[in-house]
Amino acid sequence: MIEARGLTKVYGEKTAVAGVNFTVEAGRVTGFLGPNGAGKSTTMRMIMGLDRPTSGTVTVNGAPFARHAAPLRDVGALLDAKAVHTSRSAYNHLLAMAATHSIPKKRVHDVIEMTGLADVAKKKVGGFSLGMGQRLGIAAALLGDPQTVILDEPVNGLDPEGVVWVRNLVKYLASEGRTVFLSSHLMSEMAVTADHLIVIGRGRIIADAPIQEIITGRGQIRTRVRTDQPDRLMHLLAGDGVSVELQENELLEVTGLDPRQIARAALDSRVMVYELTPLQASLEEAYMELTKDEVEYHSLITTGAAAPVQSGGN
Amino acid sequence: MSSTTLDPSRRGAQSGAGDVPARRMSGTSAGPGPSFLRVLNSEFIKFRTLLSTLILLGCTVLVVVGFGALSAWGTGQFAEAAATDPEAAAAFASQGGDLAVGVPTSGIAFAQLILGSLGVLLMSSEFTTGMARSTFAAVPKRIPAYAAKLLVVMVTAFVLTAASVYLAGLVALPILDNYNLELDLASSQSVKMLLVNSLYVAAVAAIGMALGSLIRNSAGGIMSLVGLFFVAPIAFQLIPGDFFVEARKYLPGNTVEPMTAVQHVPDTLEAWQAAMVLGAWVVIPVVLAAVLLKKRDV
Repeated sequence: MIEARGLTKVYGEKTAVAGVNFTVEAGRVTGFLGPNGAGKSTTMRMIMGLDRPTSGTVTVNGAPFARHAAPLRDVGALLDAKAVHTSRSAYNHLLAMAATHSIPKKRVHDVIEMTGLADVAKKKVGGFSLGMGQRLGIAAALLGDPQTVILDEPVNGLDPEGVVWVRNLVKYLASEGRTVFLSSHLMSEMAVTADHLIVIGRGRIIADAPIQEIITGRGQIRTRVRTDQPDRLMHLLAGDGVSVELQENELLEVTGLDPRQIARAALDSRVMVYELTPLQASLEEAYMELTKDEVEYHSLITTGAAAPVQSGGN
Repeated sequence: MSSTTLDPSRRGAQSGAGDVPARRMSGTSAGPGPSFLRVLNSEFIKFRTLLSTLILLGCTVLVVVGFGALSAWGTGQFAEAAATDPEAAAAFASQGGDLAVGVPTSGIAFAQLILGSLGVLLMSSEFTTGMARSTFAAVPKRIPAYAAKLLVVMVTAFVLTAASVYLAGLVALPILDNYNLELDLASSQSVKMLLVNSLYVAAVAAIGMALGSLIRNSAGGIMSLVGLFFVAPIAFQLIPGDFFVEARKYLPGNTVEPMTAVQHVPDTLEAWQAAMVLGAWVVIPVVLAAVLLKKRDV
């Protein structure tokens, strides 16, 4: 379990993380979503004790990371795919990391196998592709078989197969009861990977909720309706807080009524309906909605900052 | 879900999430943490697995032995000239007559530059490559990793310099013998020269590492080192004024001569004073770098 309380990081004039509070629970994949520069990496570096918080605290399983007796065995992190000396081989890098905790060589070979690096393990890391670098970073994170796994943008640069592999891996780790904290600016990836989502924008937590809640919680229910009497149905459904849009011949999109209410209205007036599909907002829409609020809020203070925040999140 | 895998070597990677961790991840996180000996072992692995480090170490041996041989030949020529030319004889006599004992350590100026730079590089490259994030995530208390690296650098510099100087002496012996000059590698002065110079190079490597940690930039660190050991002595000599004449004695590069002098030369530091000065040059940057390393973000 990771707990941040009033966690703040100020770099000179810029506040990267502004007093955030959140808890990352064990046994589920928690996504950390936000546009580039929102403070995701800074927060993760503070969890790992690499950056000192300006104020506030962050603990892993009740203690700051630096106080853990065997840090690598408790927390494994991929913070930067190239946090490796470029002239050293992947195997030697992992071997040196393992040596600090007397992790046996067998485990080094295991994580190399596990991450699919066996063919390149003896080569210099400097020649690695971004995807290979990510795999090495993940191998290093798993080295100590840690209870808590922190991955910053793990799917960056991975091929589609690698993306699926990371997805399955983090779900598997969470299913074993581990704490998994995963950052990304890719909502589509989060939508299929995370169970719980913490959304950060401009150093503040915008949302902290189960992913389903974030998708359905915002915006109104929309329903796609196909009928052979669209004009008649539009007339029947019209009312306060309801909008009906004729999208094409015989296809309506209704906002503000749930499918049961639409079906009841149609049945009462004997209008035939041959499709009735609840439309779920995508995470992308929910996210844009969330960050839009944040941007509008901030534009009162700092105008002109809206563009990068929005473009970073698409 | 991509279930087809074109490259068979990747199959392990894909299925890894499902079955490999199942067998290998027990979920228990109990086990030893980073003790100083383990961190020392880790730093030694890091030290010996960089080709550039090994090349610099090889260069040090070559340079020290090469200069030893060259200096033996030059000293022999000098002695030969002194035998026939009274002017050269006077110059030879003014040098104290025993030039042969300094032959094995004649390459030290270059050894200190190489191993000092190595000290800078080993620390600065941690930051320039991002390796520091891995290092200090594994050892979040930071100081044990710094101390272990310092120990590896200093011991290596000492042992390598001592071995190179001894080897240079062995190479110089037959050359000096050719000119009827005597060199006893077991004499107390030879042993003193070897030990003091090796300690001195270890000290320079430590200063280099501290600079690398403070500046976190390879070029900047090496330039600072060169400035301190090569530029400052010359600059201090050129700037007029008693202050700089006096200050020059306290530069780290000028502490070796007083420590190895057969007898105290007037207007120089006493051997113990020179040792204290060199010690201060090591302790101050090393401690300052440690304090800042602990405080700064990685």
